[in-house]
Amino acid sequence: MKTKHKLRWLAGWALLTSAALAAAPAYDFYLCASVNKGYVTGSKITTVSGLFQREADGTWHHIGYNDMSIAAAAFDPRDHNVIYTAALNGCWRTLDGGKTWRQTNDWTITEGRDIAVDPHAPDHVYLALPDGVAVSQDRAETWTRRENGLPERGKYTQTIRVDRSQAGRVLAGCETGIYLTENGAESWRRVLPTTDTVDDIQQSYHDPKTWIAVTQSAGAWMSHDGGATWAKLDGVPSEHTLYNVTFDPRNPQRIALGGWDAGVLTSEDGGKTWANRTAGLPAPHHVWRVGIDPDNGLLYASLTKQTLFTSADFGRTWKAGPFEDSAINNFISLPRAEK
Amino acid sequence: MKSVTFLTVLFSLATALTAGAQPSFSGPPPSRTVVHDASVRRAQYLQRINEALDWRIAAIDRQNVAGTVDLAAVSALLARHQDIELCNQRVIELMKTPGSGPFWMFPTVCVSFLGRDQLSAEAKAAIRTAWKSFQIRGDTENHWAMYYTSVYLMSELYPNDPAESWFNGKSSAENRAEARAYLISWMDLATTVGQGEYNPSHYIGEYAIPMMLMARWAQDPAMRQRGHMMLDWIFAGLAESTLNGVLHGPNSRTDEGSVVERWNALASVFSWVLFGNTPPIAGYGGWGNYFMAIADSYEVPAVIYLIATDRSAPFLQRDLARSRRRWRYSAELFMPVYKTNYTTKHYAVGSYQGGISDPIQTHVWDVTWDVTDPRGIHNTMFSLHPLASNHVLQMYFSELPDTMAQDITKQGKPSYTLAGKIVGCSPYEQVFQDLDTVVALYDIAPGVEFPQVNGFFSKDLINVTEDQSGWIFAEGGDTYLAYRPLAPYHWEAYRHFDGGWAAKQEEIGGRLLVSPHLKNGTIVQAASAFDFKDFEDFKNAIRRLPVEFSLKPKPAVKMMTLRGHDIVVTYGEAPTRDGEKIDYAKWKLFEGPYLNAEKNSKRLVITHGALQRVLDFNTLTIADTVTQP
Repeated sequence: MKTKHKLRWLAGWALLTSAALAAAPAYDFYLCASVNKGYVTGSKITTVSGLFQREADGTWHHIGYNDMSIAAAAFDPRDHNVIYTAALNGCWRTLDGGKTWRQTNDWTITEGRDIAVDPHAPDHVYLALPDGVAVSQDRAETWTRRENGLPERGKYTQTIRVDRSQAGRVLAGCETGIYLTENGAESWRRVLPTTDTVDDIQQSYHDPKTWIAVTQSAGAWMSHDGGATWAKLDGVPSEHTLYNVTFDPRNPQRIALGGWDAGVLTSEDGGKTWANRTAGLPAPHHVWRVGIDPDNGLLYASLTKQTLFTSADFGRTWKAGPFEDSAINNFISLPRAEK
Repeated sequence: MKSVTFLTVLFSLATALTAGAQPSFSGPPPSRTVVHDASVRRAQYLQRINEALDWRIAAIDRQNVAGTVDLAAVSALLARHQDIELCNQRVIELMKTPGSGPFWMFPTVCVSFLGRDQLSAEAKAAIRTAWKSFQIRGDTENHWAMYYTSVYLMSELYPNDPAESWFNGKSSAENRAEARAYLISWMDLATTVGQGEYNPSHYIGEYAIPMMLMARWAQDPAMRQRGHMMLDWIFAGLAESTLNGVLHGPNSRTDEGSVVERWNALASVFSWVLFGNTPPIAGYGGWGNYFMAIADSYEVPAVIYLIATDRSAPFLQRDLARSRRRWRYSAELFMPVYKTNYTTKHYAVGSYQGGISDPIQTHVWDVTWDVTDPRGIHNTMFSLHPLASNHVLQMYFSELPDTMAQDITKQGKPSYTLAGKIVGCSPYEQVFQDLDTVVALYDIAPGVEFPQVNGFFSKDLINVTEDQSGWIFAEGGDTYLAYRPLAPYHWEAYRHFDGGWAAKQEEIGGRLLVSPHLKNGTIVQAASAFDFKDFEDFKNAIRRLPVEFSLKPKPAVKMMTLRGHDIVVTYGEAPTRDGEKIDYAKWKLFEGPYLNAEKNSKRLVITHGALQRVLDFNTLTIADTVTQP
């Protein structure tokens, strides 16, 4: 199913702009959607949620379980049929592109918030949890807690990212700040203290030393030394919760972030200045997630209880799209597997 | 995806059925005569179970089986070995669209075991296939009790099935081991530092039914014994915390309906069937139907029955419990909950020390007075700070802020964001209870939403008098009540949501004493009407009480209680009683005339008169003794 799908995707890619193809690395694009429509724990699921991959024609293809609780997904860079999801049950894994799944964790792990695979050590998987960080070194067969250096209390971890330039180098966005490990989570040290949860951390597609983070009540922060030091970004409000941020895989100067009442903010100069691109989105401007399609540069905005919106001009105008009454919990641009 | 369940939905379905008579619900209140003859008690218990099964089966409409034969009806039929073809048909149909988690799993387990020697191969195959469908584990202790009990029992029922045959890609052996590990861990926690979802008005079913399933059907004798012992543990707690079958506060989780009309709770169904001392609620509360289908294999021990039914002498119990697990913004994973329960023949006063026990549904303290027939009676008095806070919600939920509070109002808690709500706890409330005196102090931070204290004054209070002394006097049943607001107030009509999914509020009688001041407090003194010549005599006694209070810099009360104890309560400090500081660290897991357990002991001693039962989770033994006179 996935192989066939991938062929369709590639064909679609080729039909698009060859210039763009030449300029940008080749990525696949996924999202994690929770389509609610009145669901509460225990009721029958009447919608389709979970992991979706963008088709060449712009439609979204559902993969695997209908999991309303999906928070994030990560892929084995060697084989995109190996998928991990962070979800209410913990971590689900498929080895066959979504045909069969296994909940890899036991009862000691719950409510996965984010998940990441080390591209230089693809058997190593990092799971962000409400009570810390779990690490697997065997493709999620087994999990161990690796929290040395994280505080005993205050290690709620909302987001986790592996530095693609160095094996075992990982940044975790926690309740009390950003923590960095450079030894595969053997030890952590805090590189940015915060008084509130760090909601998202992203690494530039173009410069692996450049990172950006957004927080619940302390605005947005940028690092140009691989996350070792951080500087607050002027022009990004701190009075609203910022939920996520994304770099544009096709353009190193373009960044977008979204937040509650903050709407959509974009920068086209690498974060120096920011423009509010909320006009055209329905009020209230409760932007839950933004994402940028690596294929065509479309900017996506998910507003709570709304459909997914798209912008072909980086936020200047918006168009309503699919996923009515949804929350898109994650956008994933994935360097395409070589095989 | 908050943990607010669709319990209310199911309850509505159950009550909407045009069933036959539900005699105990609509008939006269049950006799309060304590039944000492074990065989009579057993016969009455089975009679109540049969009433519920009769009702559920009578609700079946042969012309509308899709609308009236759910898994509860199938369970009732299977319990009676009746209409097996209908059961087969409905099981096959229902399994085509399985539910999504613990609330589907445990009813399915119930049907699976009741039907394992009755259902057709096709029906059993349909159930087995359904267990390949995606299941959510949930995020609360009651979810996990249901989920892991279900996983445990189903993996025993299909002991050798491979990983690919289960929803989570784990083999039967893996599922069984994980479920067993969790259930033991949960029992260890409950029997060492206390239950998490303690004294819940509805969620008692989500624990009692899984434990009944475990006690009845676990193949492993140790797990079967654990199920039985936890069932006794839960029901001992129910017996202690009820006044003639009616659960009073504090409650880890409850709702508007149960807080106002104390009887209107699933807990009353358990009181009814086990103790026979209060009517069941409509439709046996929905989930209660599953309990009835399997309850004949259990018998509440006499000692617990007597604790529940004997209200001849007042008693004081102090128990430990714990808050829901805190993910963030807290120095502690679980907040210890120190419960005080003082119960007399005419009223019960219950409380914990305040603070956030559960972010949405906690009821911190109340006075509940006895009435002959509790149906429709709002027999309670309490106050609270109506907190609504995304930050507090984030302590407990692994979700991002901003959406949570509003989402909750659409998930069965419509009042969460309203100033006039009457359910909830607050980090700005501290409570001290000495027997039948409660002092609740409030030091609400500036900027907090709803900077006010709500006091609930029931429609069923009589002779409510705002006295020049500052006290407000009232009578409820045979209970005299004195309520002292410590800051200016005004009255508002109480507006009620009739159930978690109600679209609008209604006035159902009763008022709120609204005191819109950050520094605040409430003193309530309860007393039996039989201890005074008349109401005026009570008022005079209250007026004579030495009471000093101040609100700044911190709310503080220094008073003598009606029972002659000097208490000093200052917000942020340990209270004192007769000059002695209350040291909560020394509290035992249970301490009182009926229930006793040391912290971390895993050993509960249940006592009434000459009877004693010891539940020892260290040895997995139940020991009954009778002390000879």
